[in-house]
Amino acid sequence: MLTYLIRRFLYAIPILIGVNLITFALFFVVNTPDDMARMQLGTKRVTPDAIAKWKAERGYDKPLLWNAQAQGSAKLSDTIFYDKSVSMFAFDFGRADDGRDISTEIRSRMGPSLAIAIPVFILGLWVAISFALLLVFFRGTYLDLTGVVVCVAMMSISSLFYIIGGQWLVSKVWHLVPISGLGPGLDAGRFLILPVVIAVVSGIGGSARWYRTIFLEECNRDYVRTARAKGLSELTVLFRHVLKNAMIPILTGVVVVIPGLFLGSLLIESFFGIPGLGSYTIDAISAQDFAVVRAMVFIGSVLYIIGLWLTDISYTLVDPRIRLS
Amino acid sequence: MSLLSVKDLSVQIGAGKPVDAVSFEIKPGQTFALLGESGCGKSMTALAIMRLLPPAARVQGGLVDYAKQNLLDLPEVEMRRVRGGGIGMIFQEPATSLNPVMTIGQQIGEVLALHCGLRNGSARQRALELLESVGLPDAERRLDEYPFQLSGGMKQRAMIAMALAGDPELLIADEPTTALDVTIQAQVLDLLKKLQQERGMGILLITHDLGVVERMADHVGVMYAGQLIEVAPRDQFFANPAHPYSQKLFASLPERAGRGQRLETIPGMVPPLDTQHTGCRFTPRCASAMSHCKTIEPAWYSIHGKQQVRCHLFDPQQVGMNTVIKAAPPKPAAEIARVQTNTLLQVCDLKVHFPIQKGLLQRTVGHVRAVDGVSFALPAGRTLALVGESGCGKTTVGKAILQLLQPSSGSVQLAGQELTGLSAHALRPLRAQAQMVFQDPFSSLNPRMRVGAIIAEGMQALGQKLSKQDVEARIAELLGQVGLRADMATRYPHEFSGGQRQRIAIARALAVNPKLLICDEPTSALDVSVQAQIVNLLHDLQDKLGLAYLFITHNMAVVDYLADDVAVMYKGKIVEHGSADDVLSRPQNAYTQELLAAAFTRMRGAAA
Amino acid sequence: MKPVLLWSDILLFLLVFISIGAAWWARRNPQLCAAWRQVGASRIGVAAATILVFFVVVALLDSVHYRERLAGKAGESQQYSVEVVSVLDAVLHTQKTRTEKTYSAPLAMHLFAKESLTDSAGKSVGRDFPRLKFGGQHLSNEDEWAGDVAKHIVIGLLGALLLGSALVFSLRRIVLACAPWFAWQAAAITLAGMFAVGGVIVALAPYYHVFGTDKVGQDVLYLTLKSIRTGLLLGTLTTLVMLPAALLFGILAGYKSGWIDDVIQYVYTVLNSIPDVLLIAASMLMMQVVIDTHPDWFATAAERSDARLLSLCLIMGITSWTGLCRLLRAETLKLRELEFVQAAQAFGVSSWAIMARHILPNVMHIVMITLVMNFSSLVLAEAVLSYIGIGVDPATISFGTMINTARMELAREPMVWWSLVAAFCFMFVLVLAANLFADTVRDAFDPRGRVS
Repeated sequence: MLTYLIRRFLYAIPILIGVNLITFALFFVVNTPDDMARMQLGTKRVTPDAIAKWKAERGYDKPLLWNAQAQGSAKLSDTIFYDKSVSMFAFDFGRADDGRDISTEIRSRMGPSLAIAIPVFILGLWVAISFALLLVFFRGTYLDLTGVVVCVAMMSISSLFYIIGGQWLVSKVWHLVPISGLGPGLDAGRFLILPVVIAVVSGIGGSARWYRTIFLEECNRDYVRTARAKGLSELTVLFRHVLKNAMIPILTGVVVVIPGLFLGSLLIESFFGIPGLGSYTIDAISAQDFAVVRAMVFIGSVLYIIGLWLTDISYTLVDPRIRLS
Repeated sequence: MSLLSVKDLSVQIGAGKPVDAVSFEIKPGQTFALLGESGCGKSMTALAIMRLLPPAARVQGGLVDYAKQNLLDLPEVEMRRVRGGGIGMIFQEPATSLNPVMTIGQQIGEVLALHCGLRNGSARQRALELLESVGLPDAERRLDEYPFQLSGGMKQRAMIAMALAGDPELLIADEPTTALDVTIQAQVLDLLKKLQQERGMGILLITHDLGVVERMADHVGVMYAGQLIEVAPRDQFFANPAHPYSQKLFASLPERAGRGQRLETIPGMVPPLDTQHTGCRFTPRCASAMSHCKTIEPAWYSIHGKQQVRCHLFDPQQVGMNTVIKAAPPKPAAEIARVQTNTLLQVCDLKVHFPIQKGLLQRTVGHVRAVDGVSFALPAGRTLALVGESGCGKTTVGKAILQLLQPSSGSVQLAGQELTGLSAHALRPLRAQAQMVFQDPFSSLNPRMRVGAIIAEGMQALGQKLSKQDVEARIAELLGQVGLRADMATRYPHEFSGGQRQRIAIARALAVNPKLLICDEPTSALDVSVQAQIVNLLHDLQDKLGLAYLFITHNMAVVDYLADDVAVMYKGKIVEHGSADDVLSRPQNAYTQELLAAAFTRMRGAAA
Repeated sequence: MKPVLLWSDILLFLLVFISIGAAWWARRNPQLCAAWRQVGASRIGVAAATILVFFVVVALLDSVHYRERLAGKAGESQQYSVEVVSVLDAVLHTQKTRTEKTYSAPLAMHLFAKESLTDSAGKSVGRDFPRLKFGGQHLSNEDEWAGDVAKHIVIGLLGALLLGSALVFSLRRIVLACAPWFAWQAAAITLAGMFAVGGVIVALAPYYHVFGTDKVGQDVLYLTLKSIRTGLLLGTLTTLVMLPAALLFGILAGYKSGWIDDVIQYVYTVLNSIPDVLLIAASMLMMQVVIDTHPDWFATAAERSDARLLSLCLIMGITSWTGLCRLLRAETLKLRELEFVQAAQAFGVSSWAIMARHILPNVMHIVMITLVMNFSSLVLAEAVLSYIGIGVDPATISFGTMINTARMELAREPMVWWSLVAAFCFMFVLVLAANLFADTVRDAFDPRGRVS
């Protein structure tokens, strides 16, 4: 059991190396630093001097993989690859274009991101599972049919519209909560309600429908028939037997995203002006700040791998077949 | 005073009627067996009684009288008290019928809490008693174990304990032993019998197995195409089955006495669910059918007092027809002198081990010895039966011989040529000599290919240079050989029944003119009457083409009928090997004896 | 006129030909026919398909590109406009060319913003809403507006009724003759609805901006129709990129276990572990650098935005093949153990032949279901990515870019809502139709999905 988890943990290393190589290739091989400098500086001021200065400021003036001029181990370490890629393993991401340290920035922005992401995750899961259970309890009736149609309709609306519509309705028409920003301390709650509700609502359609399919699949299994033959009520069958078994496939899809909550929600944060990692990423993308994007890619994949690992652990908690063999 | 009385129960699914006006009754302490092939409505009857029908099916009419109330009219809340309380139920597949993520104790406790009001300590105590009463070894520990930690037989025992937890007056057992090995089957049946005597419980037993009926039932009801067609006390039924269908069921069992003869078969198959019936439903398959059978539905006729049958042959108004017409005795098959010829297949010390990997680095810490040193020889034109229970490695032997699995060591020689260690390329020309017929006719044919293409695949793969016409002619010939029509080549497998599919699978194997056919449980997924058709076909093909069979099976009756030699496998090893006569009549090994005892106590009655 | 073949056009038409070919091939297979017949018999499926056909026709019309010949003097060499236009542009010529100065509401006769007006003598007459250059210009008296609009609506409905009923009745004749199982009533009702809406729009469009105009005065109806191609292209071409990879690697990994499986699993875990949006963002940034630093590769602006669109398809294909690949691998693992595969192995059939003949046809239903399900999520993703700025070229008209500009307008008081609502309606109808169609296809093809 423990060796299994350790082995799965070690599996992360080659994957992170792979991610690192991909980002390195993407950022430094597809385009040379010269290209990036030219792009950033714009066409007017492109002089060789300006390019050299731009590269020197950001440490892109070194050779890519092998520094022939350096001495000893510096031949390897005094390169772009070592500076920009290998150092990521130590969570050292360097500086953004505006000169701030990326690691500090990330640390300070994690809080607001989580303040939205965690309530969204828990509420969303709870609402979607309850809704799906309701539909399954009334399966085959018009309520079920209507529910499915509503789910499909909700899935067909772009998340952009949920945000725009929600903002407009609640903040401009009803004047209930502030439209964007984040206040200090407890006051933050007022700012967070709307984004959380919108994020939950926009996710319900897809996930409730998916859970419903899983529940229905479980409902057709033999052990459910056995449970009914025992004289259990439909509700007991659903909650004690079906739900427990259905949690296994649901966990696969759900647990893996938990660590990703740190990354926040790109759209919600940028629409509501919340200073989290999501809006940080969006800002970096629109400012074409390669260093920040690279850092976020790396952190994102680290979190994903932690998610995979958590999935393994949660499996062993829920499924005795894995726990005990 | 009857415990349960079912009157004119009908169930409808779409246009079809899987259960049509079924009536019977069960007395306390007695067993009523519903006998019939798959798809004749036995399970639907049971589910209708429990009101657990699938959503598409609904009860169309009738009466289920239990404890002075009609179960079909009961409000759902009351019905729940009956389920698990008054009437317990066990199902065919213990592996899927138990909740995989709840412990055995929890699953039994649920019933105790619901029907007996027992909780916690007292519930645990009671659950323990129940597990002990069903003979589950190490019951204390099993309470906290999950179903996957129990073997098939143990799961079925746990299932029975669960059904008994509500202290039911009636137990519905839906094919309770079909998924189990023969030796386990006998134990579970004995257990049911013992529990019945202790508790005076009525049992509704649903089965397709005459042996099980003989062992368990007091009364027998034979079902065909949704109808009961014969109801009789057991002894009368076994002494003198009246309905032509019942007679055929007996005749199509392979048995020792009939060795070398063709088995009786029932032509055709059970009609599909949505058939609109007129007259007697068995008419198309009946050897004694008369002209009015097709148009007039027979009424119930009594013979010998308690035996009732629904057949025009027993109509007292039909002068001279009220006697049982014995079907014409089966023709003896042409006895071909089976000359002992050269050894076709020689297997020496064959081993197949699967590594068990453990630890951080996935080091191999041991092996599962699926096949552990098996040796035998099979002469051309003869049949060797490889017998054993599930998991003994017999299928692995078959696959290792054909090099579908890499043997760990040992040698396999086919017509003098070593097969192990050959490259895929070098092996190809030899593959024409040995082919395989698989167990499950539903997964052994690619659903996306036409029958013709399925049969032709082997010819093409083995590089036979044939023109298109030649291939078509050969396909037609092969289909004819296995008793199918040539125009079936353009159809897809899903249009065929299980038996027909198995014929197609045989034709596919024969396409490359093999000398050896490895038959891996070719009849175990089929109904009794169809099983007889396939066994006859294999018998005929051997006579005609001089094939050698390696017949892998757990069915002793078929072994007895087909095999020249028998090898009994147990835990990866051959424990007994000899001529069929020797092994079956004078078994030396204890395991063989147990196997035979389990199989043939059940056959005794059937052979009567 | 000089035809221009953009790469995306070529690929789109290639996809159309592949679909027709696949349909022709499937015609001979009774099981596939039965499944498609089930789709055809489903009312929801047919209604959704009818709507999708409309969107596909619009997208195909928008994919035949050419450059117009400039009116040159005789004797001079032929000159072509640098602007690449499509057949759809020609159809919507009035909408495309009649731009106003800035915002105007749907069916309005006046601009949305007040301006200082001058009379013919150039003297200021105060601030007011000026009349539009084109919208409602045929009316001299502003009081006639309501009557005129009503008149055109009635004309549109009558025209739609005539044309629609003719079409529906001929359709019914054909359908009843060759495919009686087809749910033609659903198609008829959907067509009736589409004709009614379409008729009104067609009747009003020559005289008004039916959906209003945007900030720079472009007709919103025109923008919405042009957005369809972008969304559809992304939804389908991405498939073209990911399908071969997913099929090959999924089946290979499932059938050949061992190191091949390990390598393929490693690759897709690595790709999966990078959050999609970030991988797309990073790749698009890099692609943008490539495109920007090589302006000489592209002859026209259209070709440049086309390159960006294609690279978006490519990158989204790379991020999305892993899902299907994993499904196929799992299914192949199951199929590999089935007896018909072993029967083929017993004949010495080669691995590639087994994969092609026995595995591939038996996983096609998964491919089919995944493709139709992916389509709608890709259309939705396009809007989000374009909104963030890593989607299509800002110059390409798409739902995402429309929403992006429209969002700024929400802050205005009173609100400019129409372009947002127009984009919402079209996108919602497209995605809903795609989702409903996907559901029907899944019900028809997935043996497990059938609820007894």
